[in-house]
Amino acid sequence: MTGTAGSRLWNRIFIGLGLAVLAYAVLAPLTSLEAAQSLNVPLLTDKLWFRLATITAMFAVMATAWNIIGGLTGYAAFGNVAFFGIGAYTTGMLIAKAKWPFLLALPLAPLAAAIFAVLIGMPLLRLRGHYFAVASLGVGVAVGELVQNLDYRGEPIFGGASGLFLPIVAAPNRDLYFFYLMLGAAAVSIAITWVVLRSRFGYGLIAIRENEEAAAVIGVNTTVHKVAAFALAAALTGLAGGIFAQWNVFIDQENSFPIAYNVEMILMALLGGTGTVFGPAAGAVLLQLLIQFLSGSLPITLDLPFVPEDAMPVLAQVVLGVLLVLVVIFAPRGVIDFFGGRSRLSIAYLRRSLRETSI
Amino acid sequence: MGDFVQLLIIGLLGGGIYAAVGVGFGLVWGVLNIVNLAHGALVIIGAYLTWQTFTAWGLDPFLTLPIDAVALFVLGYAVQRGVINRIIRAPLLFTFLLTFGLNLIAVNVLLLVFKSDFRSVTTSYSGAGLELGGIVLPYIRLAALGIALLMAAALAALLSRSRIGLAIQAMAADRDAAQLVGIDLRHAYAVTYGLGAACAGVAGGLIAMIQAITPTAGEPYTLQAFVVVILGGLGRVSATVVGGLAFGLIEAFGQSIPGSGSVFANAIAFGVMVLVLVTRQQGLMGRLR
Repeated sequence: MTGTAGSRLWNRIFIGLGLAVLAYAVLAPLTSLEAAQSLNVPLLTDKLWFRLATITAMFAVMATAWNIIGGLTGYAAFGNVAFFGIGAYTTGMLIAKAKWPFLLALPLAPLAAAIFAVLIGMPLLRLRGHYFAVASLGVGVAVGELVQNLDYRGEPIFGGASGLFLPIVAAPNRDLYFFYLMLGAAAVSIAITWVVLRSRFGYGLIAIRENEEAAAVIGVNTTVHKVAAFALAAALTGLAGGIFAQWNVFIDQENSFPIAYNVEMILMALLGGTGTVFGPAAGAVLLQLLIQFLSGSLPITLDLPFVPEDAMPVLAQVVLGVLLVLVVIFAPRGVIDFFGGRSRLSIAYLRRSLRETSI
Repeated sequence: MGDFVQLLIIGLLGGGIYAAVGVGFGLVWGVLNIVNLAHGALVIIGAYLTWQTFTAWGLDPFLTLPIDAVALFVLGYAVQRGVINRIIRAPLLFTFLLTFGLNLIAVNVLLLVFKSDFRSVTTSYSGAGLELGGIVLPYIRLAALGIALLMAAALAALLSRSRIGLAIQAMAADRDAAQLVGIDLRHAYAVTYGLGAACAGVAGGLIAMIQAITPTAGEPYTLQAFVVVILGGLGRVSATVVGGLAFGLIEAFGQSIPGSGSVFANAIAFGVMVLVLVTRQQGLMGRLR
């Protein structure tokens, strides 16, 4: 599909808009807090803005990380939340129980997640297709269960059902600090994807995705490649988890191993376009805004007739499900595809993607 | 020794439920090559149907099972015909995500309708059981095991004797060849999914009599159904039944280990699954396809 002049224009507009939004996201917090107050302009940011921006960056990390194993290597990992939780609990345990400082504990989060990924990746990555997908889903569920319930002489090892409380880190501006930290993690993930896509290693992964037997025949050591990709994805996801633990101050099974994250990160990568560098992060921004909007966390909320306010989060999940179904059926190559200039949103496009996959 | 027999019986009775949940899942997976993540939701829809007809009309829960089967068959047929058929040729990640999306919709619609309160079906014979040498066998669980076995036998007979059953088997063997000999794939796929949903509905009806249900109570059953099918081996109803009973036994004995318990249900299920996948991928009774 060659880009026409029109789609190139769209491409430029899209990139320009994206850069503007990014610049705003990075700079807004700096300009706002005290400066805005002293100049008496309305606050650009508040607690809510930071929370939303940090969560969005966190999902950008997870979606980008998933893309390495799911999008580039073609292994549908459904249990990446296990790495998030392991990262969170690694920093959590080191800070809360061993009294380590945060910045010393943080590098161990990706390390622990990567080691775990190597250990389970060796047996699991021998499985193909459905078997791998559900086995990894099982890992996600089982690790959370073990973390919550493992006892040693009647004492919960990891804080049990009551979770872990971390001492609050002493930073001059906590919200800003963690926002930039998470944003940095997202930038690192994207940069790593960019490098991988241009490396011999990345070509090996793509070869595995396209045809694993053929990749092995032309000399790609498939086991090493797959396990390395899995560990890389795990390390980045674990990093996000480690930052999350200190940012949120409290961790338990519910917020460190939410099964919903598994699918949200995949849907984000899918929305943005799997196998691309920026797609998953863009999808994360898109979907996270939608989720927050539907669940009523944004300043602009939706008042629907006949729907009580407390039903909105549930309704948001229904909408998420419908969105998932529609994207999978009509736009399997990602919504960003329309803006990237490779194809345009049209009835013909939707009909073509339907015809390709239906009977 | 008494403990051993008791665990054996508890395991087999629990295994009946797993077999009931597993057969529909195994059929859909084996024939359509779809790992149906909405299976747990279908189970719980059946459970709510039984609860609703029981509380609204006072119908005996066992009499609601045919209603569950018919209603879920219709629902399953419509879902496959209207939605899943559209992406049946897509890579497996897409069918996976699609069924997950359907699960999300179903569970949250149930939450909107029934709220997250625990519901249970309590009849006059709920607590009663057959006493056998110091061990009490609850009537409902015995009946559930019987119904699960009957349902599996009926499904196996349907697949090997009826015209549509043979068509389904032909599709499982070779989709394109089946189309060449004149099988209407869209219809036969929808019937297959409908049958799987009907089995899930009956399993749900049984579950409503045994445990308290909530809209999210079906989710563990999806993972367990997968383990059951892997354990038995993909492709035959009888293998799934064996897998279900074996899984019930593993769970009963696994949870009796000191320090273990029902909180590790998923961890045990997962451990068994990985062990089977790594050592004997065709399952206890299966043939590799």
